[in-house]
This record gives sequence, structure tokens and C-alpha cells, in this order.
Amino acid sequence: MLRLVLLAVVCFSLATLLEPRAMTWGNRRQADGVLKIVFGEGRRLFANHFFVQADVSFHSGYYPSIFDQAKRPKESPMVSDRNEHDEHDHDSHHPDADTHGHDESAHEREMAFLQAPKDWIERFGRHFIITEHTHLSGGKEREILPWLRLSAELDPQQVETYTVAAYWLRLRLGKVKEAEEFLREGLRNNPNSYQILFELGRAYYESDHDVGRARNVWELALRKWKEQESSKKDPDLSLRARIAENLARLEEQEGNFDRAIGLLELAKKASPHPANLEARIAELRARLASRATPK
Amino acid sequence: MNNVIALAGVVIKELYRRKDFYVLFVLTALITLLLGSVNFFNDPKIVRYLKDICLLLIWISSLVIAITTAARQIPAERENRTIFPLLAKPVTRGQVIVGKFTGCWLACGFTLLVFYVFFTVVSGTREQNWNLEGILKMVWLHWVMLGIVVAMVLCGSIVFSAPSANITICFIVVVGILGLGRYLHRVALQQGEPVDTVLSVIYFAIPHLEWYDVRDFLVYDQHLAPWVDCGLATLYGAAYMVFFMCVAWVVFRRKTLTV
Amino acid sequence: MSDVQGTSNSVVEIKGLRVEYRARTSGQTTKVAVKDLSFSVRAGEVFGFLGPNGAGKTTTMNVLLGFVNATGGEACLFGVNVREPIARQRIGYLPELTYYYKFLTAEELLRFYARVFGIPRGEADKRIDLLMKLVELEHARKRPIKTYSKGMQQRVGLAQALINNPDLLILDEPTSGLDPLGRMKVREIIQRLKNEGKTVFFSSHELGEVETVCDRVAIINQGELKVEGRVSDLVAQYQCDLEKVFLKIVGYQPQPVS
Repeated sequence: MLRLVLLAVVCFSLATLLEPRAMTWGNRRQADGVLKIVFGEGRRLFANHFFVQADVSFHSGYYPSIFDQAKRPKESPMVSDRNEHDEHDHDSHHPDADTHGHDESAHEREMAFLQAPKDWIERFGRHFIITEHTHLSGGKEREILPWLRLSAELDPQQVETYTVAAYWLRLRLGKVKEAEEFLREGLRNNPNSYQILFELGRAYYESDHDVGRARNVWELALRKWKEQESSKKDPDLSLRARIAENLARLEEQEGNFDRAIGLLELAKKASPHPANLEARIAELRARLASRATPK
Repeated sequence: MNNVIALAGVVIKELYRRKDFYVLFVLTALITLLLGSVNFFNDPKIVRYLKDICLLLIWISSLVIAITTAARQIPAERENRTIFPLLAKPVTRGQVIVGKFTGCWLACGFTLLVFYVFFTVVSGTREQNWNLEGILKMVWLHWVMLGIVVAMVLCGSIVFSAPSANITICFIVVVGILGLGRYLHRVALQQGEPVDTVLSVIYFAIPHLEWYDVRDFLVYDQHLAPWVDCGLATLYGAAYMVFFMCVAWVVFRRKTLTV
Repeated sequence: MSDVQGTSNSVVEIKGLRVEYRARTSGQTTKVAVKDLSFSVRAGEVFGFLGPNGAGKTTTMNVLLGFVNATGGEACLFGVNVREPIARQRIGYLPELTYYYKFLTAEELLRFYARVFGIPRGEADKRIDLLMKLVELEHARKRPIKTYSKGMQQRVGLAQALINNPDLLILDEPTSGLDPLGRMKVREIIQRLKNEGKTVFFSSHELGEVETVCDRVAIINQGELKVEGRVSDLVAQYQCDLEKVFLKIVGYQPQPVS
């Protein structure tokens, strides 16, 4: 009995001694919720599973299995819709662009993973699985949120979870406040994430119409991008382009045309629609010139 | 028939006097209600995750109850020597098998009813939509699946000497079929011989329990298969139940029981 | 040494019974538990089935009850082959080790067995009341059997053996583990059954008891019938009590005590 008590005292003392030191081990903020303690390091596997589960939910159960993995969509509309929304806004200036339709048909082809049944068992079994490809809409997109929440709980360092959830919350479900809160939570867990900063800026600009905050956040996003990506062999130029484009739109609205032109030049380097941007740059230059010419 | 019903009654009494069912039901209810009380982004209308998790818990609980109840029937009778006063009555071994199966299957049916009533109440009150026909089909298919599992486990309890081995093997087989049964043939066709033949034989021989897992339809509010297809699946299930019970009877008939 | 009288009023008839247990592993040999056993039990008598441990008594009983299939020969109850379940319609069986469904109450157990015998509900209720009184378990009839003492479980066993008002009662060591009072009660029940014209077939090691209660006995050893006959005839023939007759038959040689 005495030995047990002694052992308990030693363990407790050791834990108290080591705890402050343990906090400084590693840069990542360690998750400490119940789920994380239960799942341990395997939580990232579960987090990924729940993220996929959100996609399954988005497709109302019609989803390729691991045996159809080769045929899995490269990027599900649950994830890619937020990018298309962004592009669609710009494309509204140039209605000739039809990338949205092109992506949809590509997605349809990707999701046609159900081959012809090979035997009577598979043929009959098709009656008991979902075979119709649909996407959630009309407010039902809310059903993907619990899975994204769980995924974020288990792996707070998975940035995409926050940005995807924020898109659906803000733009499809009209929950701007919740989207911002979630993004800020993501930022606390990932202070250097330019992706989250970009989404947060969009929330401030598009939903709150808070130009000042949006500008600050987007500029911070560009700085964070430069710190992290510029030295890489294969930097994420497309996201920088999107940040720059959005910031350019903001500056254009505020009348800062030369700043806007500089940002559009930056965006043009990696934009999928350089011609569109060139046209906008030309337009802005014309407006700048007309402003400079005295009447 | 009288003997079969009498034996089934004893099995059902045993189930509701043991604590397994109550523990599993309380656990399922607690987890479901806990999850139901969680606030996801201030949206009270989110319901599919709850249905998904509740149905998963129901499936796990029902499989645990079915397999553990069926696995201990005959071995417990032999171990506790209750088989001797029973077989000393005008009861055949075949009637014992059928009686045990009927009791286990009916017991599973009652537990399913309780679980699904709970599920219906929880999902219906949250969703304000009562898909009773869909739930009825799902309960029926689930019950048929459990019938196949019970028959398989009963057969295993006579073939395997240790109940723990039987339970482990049956759990692995059932979970394996539910997860992989659908894809075995496709995987087989991608392999060379003899793996191709072995997997194909397994694919055509196993009972395709995954047919009866129609949770996705209820979770995602899709239309379930028509009653005709459910009927055909029931016949398929009944065939396997009869097969496993025949094997069990043939093996049990030859077993020497010594006092 | 057999004294088979194939009379028409034989309740139990065993002819040339042979039971072999086949070797399961290569090192073992086939064991012959019962060799060409033949005897019969007449209606209305109390028949003692005796033999040392491992003689084949339990195997013979197992064959009669259908637990074991005979390798050769024939066994019939009331003229019906023991393989037919209907052969057990008129028998009651009390095993040596009494284990019953622990989660059932005594009343539920008896009701279950009554149902198996096809006894209508009303009739079953009356019999259960009578039997509970007979075995003195009225106060505990609604308690689960797992709460019973060994003696109480033994009495439940007796009650379930009598639920169908059997014409033949097969008892395997009925007084084993009972105190003197319990043994006396069992003897009284056996005597009562005999007075009612029932047949009792039981095995026991309590030879004093057997001598008091039984009309006829059969002694087997190493799977073979050694002697069969009336207790009084055997005692007169060997000029000693039944215990000494038994020891002589099985070939026991007393060791000198130094």
C-alpha cells in the first residue's frame, strides 16, 4: 500500500514537472477535446473519414466505395463549388465563359462509377443501394455540416474543412455569423493559414460589406502566402490569384484604381481567365486616365 | 409446433431477463439523445447525421444481441446440462434447433421493434416527417437479415466447440459480408487464378447480407425498393435460414450427448 | 446370466444392446461401453440398475433416453424404439446432476415441460399445484431457480420428472447428495409411485436403499450383464446381503488389513 502511494506521488510530481515543458514541444496547437483523447493520433484518419462522409451526405449517399477509388471525383462539388462561385462572379462580366457547365459534365462523368452489373446478384443488389446521382440543395446542404464539424474537431489543422464549411454556411444557408465564427476558430488553430484568411475576407466583404476589415485580412493573406509559398518549387499560384482578384475588386470599388491594376497584374499570372483580367485592367486604366484628365 | 413455440418462449424469456438488451438500448438511446442535443451552427433542422448514427448504433446493437444470443443457446444447454431433461421429453433434436432459432429470431424482432420505435420518434419529431412505409420496409429487411445471421450462428455453435470461437468467427464473417460482399466478384475478376475462382465461389456461396442494409435510403430520404423486391430478398433469406438450420440439424443429430 | 423375459407387459426392453465409442485420435482405441446387454423391466415394478463406476449404467440410460445412438441391438420403451421421440411421452427422467434454466422460476419451468408434453393449460396448472405441494416448494415457486439451494433444485428436478404423470420413471442416482431426510422423502415417493402401479427404473450406489425398495435388480460390470433377478432370490442364492452379492459379482477381493 505504501509503495502504491509512493508511486502515485512520484507520477504526479513528474507530471507537474513535465507539463509546462510539454506545452512547448512542437508548434502545432494540440487538440484536447474528448474525441481527440479517445481517438489519439488516429483521429486524423477519422477526420478524413468524416470529411468524406460530408461529401457522401452531399451526394445523398450515392458515392464511390474504396473499390471505385480510381473513379473518385478529383474534387467534389462540395469542395469545388466555392471556387466556381468565385469565378462565376467574375464571369458575370463576361457571359461567354462557360466553365461551370463544363465542370458539371466532367463531374457527371466522374460520378458514373456504377458499371453494368456483372451477375444476377449484383443486378438484384442494385435495388438496395442508392443509384441516383443528386446534390443537396434548397437548404438541405445543412446536412453536411455536422460531419465537417466533427472533422474539424478531430483534425483542427485540416484547413479545407473550415473553408468548405464556411462557404456553405455563408452562401447557401445564409449563416454569416456562424461562418465567421468557424473561420475564426480555424484561424486560432491555424494562425498562418492564408486560405482561411481569404475566406474570412470574403465573409467581411461580401456579407458584412466591411471594406476595411476585408482589406486588412486579404492583405494579411497575401503576406502569409508570400511567407509560406514563395520559396516553394510549386507554389499555390491560383489561390494567390484569387486573393489578388478579390482585393482588386475591393480596391476598384473604393476607387483605388492603380492599386487594383497592380493586383490584377499579379492575379493574371496564374488566373484561368487571363484574357478577362487583361480586359478589366484595360478598363481600369481607361477610367484612371479619364479621372486624371481635367474637364 | 407446440414444442417449437415452447422452446422459443424460453429463449425470449432468457433475453429479456438478461441485461444485454437493456444495456445496449440505453447506450444507443443515450448516445443518440446526446448527439441530438449538440448544436451545430445554430441549426435545429439538421437531422441526417443523427439518423445515420442512430441507425449505425441500432445495427451494431442488433448484431451483438443476435450473435451472442444465438451463439450461447446450444453450448449453454450442454454446459449447464439442461439439454438432458429437455431431450428426455418427447422433443426431437430438430425441434430443439427450430425452437432455438425461432426464439432467437423472435427475440431479435422484439428488440428491433423497440429500437426502431425509438428511432422513429427521434427522427420524426426532429424532421417533422414520418416515413412509416420506409421504416417498415427497413425493419422487415433488417429482421430477415438477422434471421440469416441467427441461423448461421446456431449452425456454428454446433460445429465449433467453443462459443467464443463461434462468436468471433461469425462477427468477422458478418461484418466482412456487409462491408465487402458486394465487391467480391469484381475484385475476383481482377485477380489471377486460383484466387479468382476462390473469391468467385465465396461470392456466390455467401448470403448477401448487404442487400438488407438499406439505411442510406432512410438517412438520405430516398425511395426504397418496392415490396416485390423486398419479398424476393425475404425468400432468398429464408432459403439461407433453412440451409443453415438443416446443416445444424444434420450435425446435431449425430452428436453424442453424455450425461 | 441374462434373464430376459420378453413379456408383453415389458415397459423397458433391451436386446443385444451394444454401444461403442469410436477413437477420435489415432492413438486411442475404440471403447466398448456396453456389450450385448439384454434385460427387461416389467410394468409396475421397481427395478434397480447397479454396477461399479464405468460399468456402463449411464451409457445404457443414455441410450434409453435417446442421448446416445446404439451401435447394435435394440432398446424399446413401451414397445416403441427409443429413437422415436414418442417413446418418451410416458416417461419421466431425473438426472443425477440437476441443472435447470436458472432464469426461470420453478412454476415457469414446470409449465414449459407441461407444454412440451402437450398437457392443456388447466390440467397443467392443477398438476403444478400438486407437485409443488408434493416436493414442498410452494413457498418458492415464483422465485428464479438460480436462487435455490441444491436440495431445492433436486426437488424441482423430481417435480419436472413427474409433470406428465409418467408410467415409467427413470432416476439416475436419485438420492445422491441428499441428506437422510431428503433420501427418506425420495424413498417415500418411489413407494407411492409403485403403489399407483407406476414403473421405476433407477441406478444407485446406495445398496441398502436398493435392497429395501427394489423388486428386481440387474448388476452390470464392464459393459456386460452379470446377474439379474429378484432381490430376495439373489440374497437367498448368495446367502448374504445385497452389498456382498454386488461385491462378489464384480469380483472384489478384500485386502487384508495389517
